[in-house]
Amino acid sequence: MHLLLSPMQQTDKLISPSVNWGSLTPLLVLLGAGLVLLVGAALSARGWAKGLYATLTAAAAVAAGVLQFVLWNSTVHHGPKSLVGEALVVDGPSLFIGISICAALLLAALVTDDYLRREDIDSPEVYGLYLMAALGGLVMAASNDLIVLFLGLEVLSIALYVLAASHRKRIESQEAGLKYFILGGFSSAFFLYGVALVYGATGTTRLRGPESIKTALALTVETDKHRALLVVGVALLLVGLAFKVAAVPFHSWTPDVYQGAPTPVTGFMASAAKAAAFGALLRSVVLSMPELRDDWRPAIWVLAILTLVIGSTLAVVQTNVKRMLAYSSISHAGFILVGIEAAAHGGESGDRGIASVLFYVLTYAVLVSGTFAVSTLVGRSGDGAHGLDSYRGLGRQRPVLALALAVFLLAQAGVPLTSGFVAKFSVITAAADASSYAIAIIAMLAAVIGAFLYLRIIVSMFLEDGDAEGERVSIPFGTGAAIGISVAFTLVVGFFPGWLLELARDAATRLY
Amino acid sequence: MLTDQNWVLSVGVFLPLAGVLVMMFIPKSDELLVKFVGLLAALATLGIGIYTLAEFDYGQAEKLQFAVNTSWIDVIHSRYIVGLDGLSLPLYILSMVITVLVMIYSWNHVPSPGNPKAFYMLMLVLQVGMAGTFVAQDLVLFFVFFEIVLLPMYFMIGVWGGENRQYASLKFFLYTMFGSAFMLVAFLALFFKTGGTTFSMTQLADLVQQKYAEGGLTSTTMNLIFAGMALGFAVKVPMFPFHTWLPDAHTQAPTQGSVILAAILLKLGTYGFVRIALPILPQAAKVFAPWIGLLSVIGIIYGAWCCLAQTDMKRLIAFSSVAHMGFVMLGISTLTSYGINAAMFGMVAHGLITGMLFFVAGSVKDRYHTLEIKRLSGMLKQVPKLGWIMGFAAMASLGLPGLAGFWGEFPAILSAFEPAKGNVDLAIGPLSVNLYRTFMIIASIGTVFAAGYLLWLYQRTAFGTPTAEFAGLGADADDQDDHAHGAHDAHEGAEDTGHADGHHEKLHDVGIFEWIAWAPMLAAIVFFGVYPQAMFKVFDPAVSLISKKFGG
Amino acid sequence: MPTDFSSFLRGWLTVAIFGTLGLLLAGLLLGLSALVRPKRPTVEKSMAYESGVDPVGDGWSQSQIRYYIFALLFVMFDVEAVFIFPWATQLERYAGFGLVEMGVFVFVLLLGLVYAWRKGVLRWV
Repeated sequence: MHLLLSPMQQTDKLISPSVNWGSLTPLLVLLGAGLVLLVGAALSARGWAKGLYATLTAAAAVAAGVLQFVLWNSTVHHGPKSLVGEALVVDGPSLFIGISICAALLLAALVTDDYLRREDIDSPEVYGLYLMAALGGLVMAASNDLIVLFLGLEVLSIALYVLAASHRKRIESQEAGLKYFILGGFSSAFFLYGVALVYGATGTTRLRGPESIKTALALTVETDKHRALLVVGVALLLVGLAFKVAAVPFHSWTPDVYQGAPTPVTGFMASAAKAAAFGALLRSVVLSMPELRDDWRPAIWVLAILTLVIGSTLAVVQTNVKRMLAYSSISHAGFILVGIEAAAHGGESGDRGIASVLFYVLTYAVLVSGTFAVSTLVGRSGDGAHGLDSYRGLGRQRPVLALALAVFLLAQAGVPLTSGFVAKFSVITAAADASSYAIAIIAMLAAVIGAFLYLRIIVSMFLEDGDAEGERVSIPFGTGAAIGISVAFTLVVGFFPGWLLELARDAATRLY
Repeated sequence: MLTDQNWVLSVGVFLPLAGVLVMMFIPKSDELLVKFVGLLAALATLGIGIYTLAEFDYGQAEKLQFAVNTSWIDVIHSRYIVGLDGLSLPLYILSMVITVLVMIYSWNHVPSPGNPKAFYMLMLVLQVGMAGTFVAQDLVLFFVFFEIVLLPMYFMIGVWGGENRQYASLKFFLYTMFGSAFMLVAFLALFFKTGGTTFSMTQLADLVQQKYAEGGLTSTTMNLIFAGMALGFAVKVPMFPFHTWLPDAHTQAPTQGSVILAAILLKLGTYGFVRIALPILPQAAKVFAPWIGLLSVIGIIYGAWCCLAQTDMKRLIAFSSVAHMGFVMLGISTLTSYGINAAMFGMVAHGLITGMLFFVAGSVKDRYHTLEIKRLSGMLKQVPKLGWIMGFAAMASLGLPGLAGFWGEFPAILSAFEPAKGNVDLAIGPLSVNLYRTFMIIASIGTVFAAGYLLWLYQRTAFGTPTAEFAGLGADADDQDDHAHGAHDAHEGAEDTGHADGHHEKLHDVGIFEWIAWAPMLAAIVFFGVYPQAMFKVFDPAVSLISKKFGG
Repeated sequence: MPTDFSSFLRGWLTVAIFGTLGLLLAGLLLGLSALVRPKRPTVEKSMAYESGVDPVGDGWSQSQIRYYIFALLFVMFDVEAVFIFPWATQLERYAGFGLVEMGVFVFVLLLGLVYAWRKGVLRWV
């Protein structure tokens, strides 16, 4: 915005925005790694050594994560700040979501390595796209300007479209990519139109800080004139973001795309893309337009309830596990929306809501990455064995793997002593604090319905006598490590949730 | 004296986990060692329990003893608060005893498909959840323990259960979770509506009264919160319209699962009423008490009728649980010291007696490979000791004076004669005497039914001559046999699955492990039947504290 | 507020009226001609019209993938060039900062070109 507007003002000297390079390092690391990976691999004659692509990606993810921790530290000492002429911010929520995305990237890289070699389609492009998608996600979570947010959204989305179609040998993967692309294109257009209308109403695309949408809305006298424009604009923004988080009624792409996309990519979509989209939703609407909350909070309320109910009930009738998990991820989005609804109330309970959303996003990202990692292995070569039958007897054939999946599923069901329980608990607490009891009860009932689905998979693994048809499930090192990390995280947070809850709470209060 | 031994409860609750940890490192094939370690952990836990019994100050049984109150998860204001008073103590000890006995019984009765390692580990985890629920004094902590119990039981039914185990285990899990969903929201509503700073039960109870007096808490809100909690507990009890999971779970569960379910798990619900719902929200409790009483009475009669219609022994005992828990809930619903004391006694007595009946049913199934009442006959002839034990347990269950069951049932009925008079200070009115006297009459008709179905069951299975199918296999014919009883016991577990009709192995009478497991329960049924005061005096101070709020 | 809202809606009302009229007019004319014209269908008449040439084969025909790739590459670099023009017109004003920024931009574009080259996209096989 800044750059485009300046020339028209006919001032002789350009006031170049101060770029705080140090705070941009997480983004630069991901970008650099992506470029090195693509160009480096293209320049070398025979491709890189086995596993090197994934190692580089994982290293970049870890480095970006660590850098964000460093930034977190400086935020604690010097307070949150903005970068590049207020286009980006470094504050609690952005770093928390950023770390969630980096965690998802790390887990995805570990799983994908084995997957691509098993399917014999190893190439650097997939990792490059992962890195770009993560970069886009980070930008979304940290953006303080609707245009920058859109930029991040597109970088993330376009990378994901291609990733969904990246298993060239499977027709379902192609279908998923195309479907995602067409519907995603629609949603991006909605979002962009929303940006335009909001700009028309407020005269700015900046979200918070001086001369921003938030301050413009605070002067209600001025905005009253354009209220209708603004409301329609916000509605369109919500449509665009609801599509990305897969909230009902904008969810119809999810089952097909999750089922068709290569399984590790599905895991990445469910974790990183969802985290980024919720970060963006938090930043663009919840935190920047509190004055308008009477208009958009009912919409969130309806979205949350529809998402919870439809997500969990439709999950129950599926027989394909990937499809089941797709619907379950819709229902989890509903849970996070409950937190968003609580965050919309502002004040003390609003902070609690933001914290619960952040906590849920991180724990769910790890959980769902682990779940799809197991699903990748069970899919066996060809990535096709995802029926409920394929899990039959897994408890006897691969007890440790089955146990890990059981932990993930029980955590998703919200059983105590797992991270999932704490996440659900904090969301429901936030809702109760905001006196949204109806939504809290519906969420809990949706959790009960959802529990049926997770138990169905567990039943298949342990209780049904399996003749263990097909090849034996093998557990390669990288995927095993990813599953191990996820299980450890799930249980540690389940037993000792205090530190992470406090971190999320801290992040929620350290807003730019 | 009251606080300096604060390690006791934490060790008592979590010690089984140490056993689980050790067992993880023992190979699955080393079954003997696995069982040994499991039993040792349970025995050590029971040892702590006996120490608790010895150190408990009975003079101040209404106070929380061995209390610990340290920070746990500060961000959500939940604290690690545990304590033991007269209400919890008997149930806490009962859970430890039952776990040990069930493990002894399992020594040669591991149900199909085997794998004692996992089975024993689950029992230990279950023990942690049960004991934890009885000592937790923080609502979140309570909820966590309450939910932990679900999983091991789910797997116990789902893996080691009967033919219809998947359906039964799912139903059990979903019903209970459905109830807890409302319970959790109710807990949170309570916390935020009272503006509490912790989830401590005592603090919230005080705050509710304070807020109510100030007008900051309306009775509608309190009623809604109570309804949410009551739903959670009622599913677990189970009370009449929410009971349908129980017969399925009991019928499909392995013997051990049934025993634990009947003896302890059902009590979590009734205990929740007495520990949480009544003291924290007395005004709302008064509003709901008649309805709870009504559902209890329906449960008593309905349970009894269902019993009369059953053809399966285990299912019959399960429905009798519905009826018995109806008596317990009736006692609670009177809101009097007399009624709640009776209910507390009824919980322990029902735990011992129905647990015993399920043990017997399990052993019958082991021998005859069926629980169909019409195929069983003449047990007294074929397996006389087992038959007599069953008779004893049935008598105790129908409330024969001199056995423990009497003191749970009879005072509960009697208490309905004079329900709570109300308490002006808390603005609690009296309960309708006429209504409760009607309940009393209906409930006493229920005892007649109870005698009916239990005696009829006993008559059909134990008396008479053995059916043709099992004729000549009895222990009476066993005298000429060279095999010692022990030898039978040894391969009994392996024979579990082979019940092809036509070649039954010889029936044998009660074995050594069964004797060890059952003797303490039989002794306790007699002891508490003869000397009920031993338990009443533990409950009474704590119960009076609660019933005082209702003027009783 | 309500007056603003209705004035906002009134703007759209014009659009709606215009659209409806347009549809009505088109429908009317087409419907009218359908009513009055004679109908004598022949094979030639129902053939697709391709500037007088007889259509050959199916409507769906394959063409070489390399056309698409070149078109894609062209569009990509063409669009990127759009960003360079405004910068060039204001070269002095952006000075060193602008130069560095544009350098980075072009460098990344070059990397893309290198990637395309190594992948063999630039070869006409």
